[in-house]
Amino acid sequence: MQNEVELTPEAAVRAVMRDILGLSEEQVSEFKAETELFGALPELDSMAVAGLLTELEDRLDIMIEDDDVDGELFETFGNLVAFAEMKVTE
Amino acid sequence: MTPAPAFVSYEFADRKELCLSLAAQSSRRVMLVPPLFDEMNRMRKMLVDVMRALETLEVGSIMPDLPGTNESLVPLGLVTLTDWQKAVETCAQQHDISHVASFRGSAVTVTNLRQADHWIFSPVKGATILRTMLRTRVAADKESGQATSLAELTAQAGSGPIELAGNILGSRLFTELNAAEIPDFINQRVVRLESDNKPGDGQIPGSALWLRAEPDDDPAMSSAIARDIASWLE
Repeated sequence: MQNEVELTPEAAVRAVMRDILGLSEEQVSEFKAETELFGALPELDSMAVAGLLTELEDRLDIMIEDDDVDGELFETFGNLVAFAEMKVTE
Repeated sequence: MTPAPAFVSYEFADRKELCLSLAAQSSRRVMLVPPLFDEMNRMRKMLVDVMRALETLEVGSIMPDLPGTNESLVPLGLVTLTDWQKAVETCAQQHDISHVASFRGSAVTVTNLRQADHWIFSPVKGATILRTMLRTRVAADKESGQATSLAELTAQAGSGPIELAGNILGSRLFTELNAAEIPDFINQRVVRLESDNKPGDGQIPGSALWLRAEPDDDPAMSSAIARDIASWLE
């Protein structure tokens, strides 16, 4: 078994966005805090958001409750990263 | 010429269930058990490409339909996880399979084959698969003006059939899946994506196609999976 390597919340969010949108590493590395997500990216529908939340839970070993999720969370890449960072320190 | 898979079948519960089969000029064979629900649709092309890549590596493969999925004539609402586990076991017996590759949620369907050699790709427990489906339902309910929660829907699914992301799940399938943990076999190789930091025995390049909005393929990933399976069979 290989050892578990610590994954930063930002790296996890970036990796999951890359997988959902089918982007290259270069494309997703251009995502900045102010990059708009929900509404700006047609692939990011409610089904994709459901998958994204579960995948983040799985990769970061966190639990995301119903109450945690609101529209603002998916407005920008920065909001999502800030949320993930907050959840891992809880 | 690109090798074409053929349909074969296995008999389970007095019915024939279909399998895709790609024979090879060798005695080495593996059964690929597809992921569950939407993840199966999103990864099927990638998995059929794995079968083709295995054929070029002289490994035969077979990929069964689980009862209630794909071409199966059984309504999903009548199927239980116990059925899936027995079906996978039956298919392995009828096709003389000793090596099994499972993907994502199908890891919880291969548990009756304790003595087999297992190759397991990015396994998840049943509750993880259900959680995404429940969230999709919460989002759909919200759009139609109904406020539901994961907890409410989970309680509801325990006492009767529930519609989640276009699938009707019977309460027994839901309850069994919700409790199904990732198995640990005597002989197993757990393989993950390079971007996945959880412990495993190997990593392959590729992306999490199960997260895509639409089904997609990834030829490089399919080849990498086929090469890993072929060398594991040696």
